[in-house]
Amino acid sequence: MGKYLQVFKISFQQEFVYRLNFIMWRVRNVLQIFIVFFLWDTVFSAQGRQLFGYDRDKILTYVFGLIFIKAFVLSSRVQDVAGDIARGEIINYLLKPVNYFKYWLTRDISSKALNLVFAVGEFSLLYLILRPPFYFQNNPFLIILFLISIILAIFTYYILLFIVNAIPFWAPEMGWGGHFLVTVIMVEFLSGALFPLDILPASLQNVLNFTPFPYLIFFPLQVYLGKITGFLLFKGIFISTIWIFILWFFMNWIWKKGFKVYQAYGR
Amino acid sequence: MFRILCLVLRVSASRCYTLAMSKENKEAVEKTIIVEHLVKNFEVTERKPGLAGSISSLFSPQKKIIRALKSISFSINKGELVGFIGPNGAGKTTTLKVLSGLLFPTAGFIQVMGFDPWTRRPEFLKQISLIMGQKNQLWWDLPAIETLELNRAIYEIPQNIYKESFDELVELLEVKKFLNTPVRKLSLGQRMRLELVAALLHHPKVLFLDEPTIGLDVVAQQKVRDFIFEYNRKHSATIMLTSHNMDDLIDLAKRVIVIDKGQILFDGNLKELVVQFAKEKIIKVYLSKEADIKKLDEIGKIKRFDFPQAILAVPREATAVAAAELLQNFPVADLTIEEEPIEEIIRRVFRGEVIKKKNG
Repeated sequence: MGKYLQVFKISFQQEFVYRLNFIMWRVRNVLQIFIVFFLWDTVFSAQGRQLFGYDRDKILTYVFGLIFIKAFVLSSRVQDVAGDIARGEIINYLLKPVNYFKYWLTRDISSKALNLVFAVGEFSLLYLILRPPFYFQNNPFLIILFLISIILAIFTYYILLFIVNAIPFWAPEMGWGGHFLVTVIMVEFLSGALFPLDILPASLQNVLNFTPFPYLIFFPLQVYLGKITGFLLFKGIFISTIWIFILWFFMNWIWKKGFKVYQAYGR
Repeated sequence: MFRILCLVLRVSASRCYTLAMSKENKEAVEKTIIVEHLVKNFEVTERKPGLAGSISSLFSPQKKIIRALKSISFSINKGELVGFIGPNGAGKTTTLKVLSGLLFPTAGFIQVMGFDPWTRRPEFLKQISLIMGQKNQLWWDLPAIETLELNRAIYEIPQNIYKESFDELVELLEVKKFLNTPVRKLSLGQRMRLELVAALLHHPKVLFLDEPTIGLDVVAQQKVRDFIFEYNRKHSATIMLTSHNMDDLIDLAKRVIVIDKGQILFDGNLKELVVQFAKEKIIKVYLSKEADIKKLDEIGKIKRFDFPQAILAVPREATAVAAAELLQNFPVADLTIEEEPIEEIIRRVFRGEVIKKKNG
């Protein structure tokens, strides 16, 4: 355990090295929220307008919930793994008595911890400026289930990225392409990071609910908002747990194969 | 193999086990590294030049097998320091990578300290280190001390042992001043020495060094060399070293393995290499008067002529005749006959010149 604590410490320091970069990234985050906020605010500007079952208050709560969950789930360091393999830096870790998967999980958690701190700050600031009608969940049972679904989402996304980032074992130049496909197309679009998924046709939603993607963002948020309860809630948690197992086995299989074909290029 | 033997001999299971164990123990004591008929093939996709080539290779990739190691065998005893030499692309680094568990061998048997490197057992990894001159493990943006602390935790080095080995390494390599500077601000020589500290904190018993002095200036090279020598002596560590630096090999390695095109050409004493591979002897003459260079050239290949000194290379078997002829026909003040320098022979090895053993 001690070794991963040290990994946590050094990653945390690393995050602070490029301060300006870090600040710009946070500014970008805040601006993104502003844009989405004003977009939906304008769409729902007419008094009492409802679209797809969302009124102004609900959609704004959704948007604000996004800040938090994205900071938690979608901020991952694992996207660096592909480069690590392509450039051969993974060698450093293969030579040491350290578990590569746990190593990156630790780096991921340290990155998330930092993100959380800043997301809280940004959230408070934006809340004071925009004064949105925010919905505070006060059912402890739902809050616990919300936290569980967040943890499941973190694992799902982490394993998903670990699978995609193994591509350079076979095609060193494809690392970025795979990552783009997963994060931008699949995750952003299908997880509910751009719009609430329940504005989609019901048949499409039914299909989506059997994929791992809605459980990354949409599902935890709905749990928090109290829109998913009872049987559906447990079904959701069950499906996402099953997915973690499936993806976990697939990841182990693909990494085992990857190590075997790995050529530890050059240098 | 033992199990089959025991089955044939109908020895009881426990007896069989002790038999196998004693064999293993004996090997572990004597031989740290055993390599038998190691083969490593790489599959590469060939790409034709240009855009059209890129597109066509996307649809019908041309796979090609590269045979990096063609059944090599050798073994290294505990505490030995072995130089591994050969031209670029001979398979030196590939061998080191297989031995340290990074590459999966295509065929053959390898054992390092009784472990199969590929399984990458923590007990194995805690006892080895692979240092590559062009590769860094230090965290680029942070002071080196952070990476050292990280390695302490990863290798689970007890605090008191860490302190001791940290102090020793820092002093030997003279890096105290650079410990708290971000690594990216250091010079290559400073960084390389810190890389050594990071790679040796856990006191590896087996050390694979791949071009440890590449890109360093002469002073830094000497420091690193002295250190490797000390480390080998003090901890009786087994070291395999590849280098294109002549001095590294001459100073450090008693035994060398010459490898080219994935095959071992020579394995033995460095001095032996000279005796076996030197085709020529060197005659140095000091002339008392000016003489015709053309005539000198008839006797042997002139390597350098700088009056009054002339250096000639002559075939080994013709040495005596050449010396006699020189003494007879030229105004010779002094004459010496020397072996071809090791450098010259190693240089030939690096050029990939086919070196043939004289006696078959």
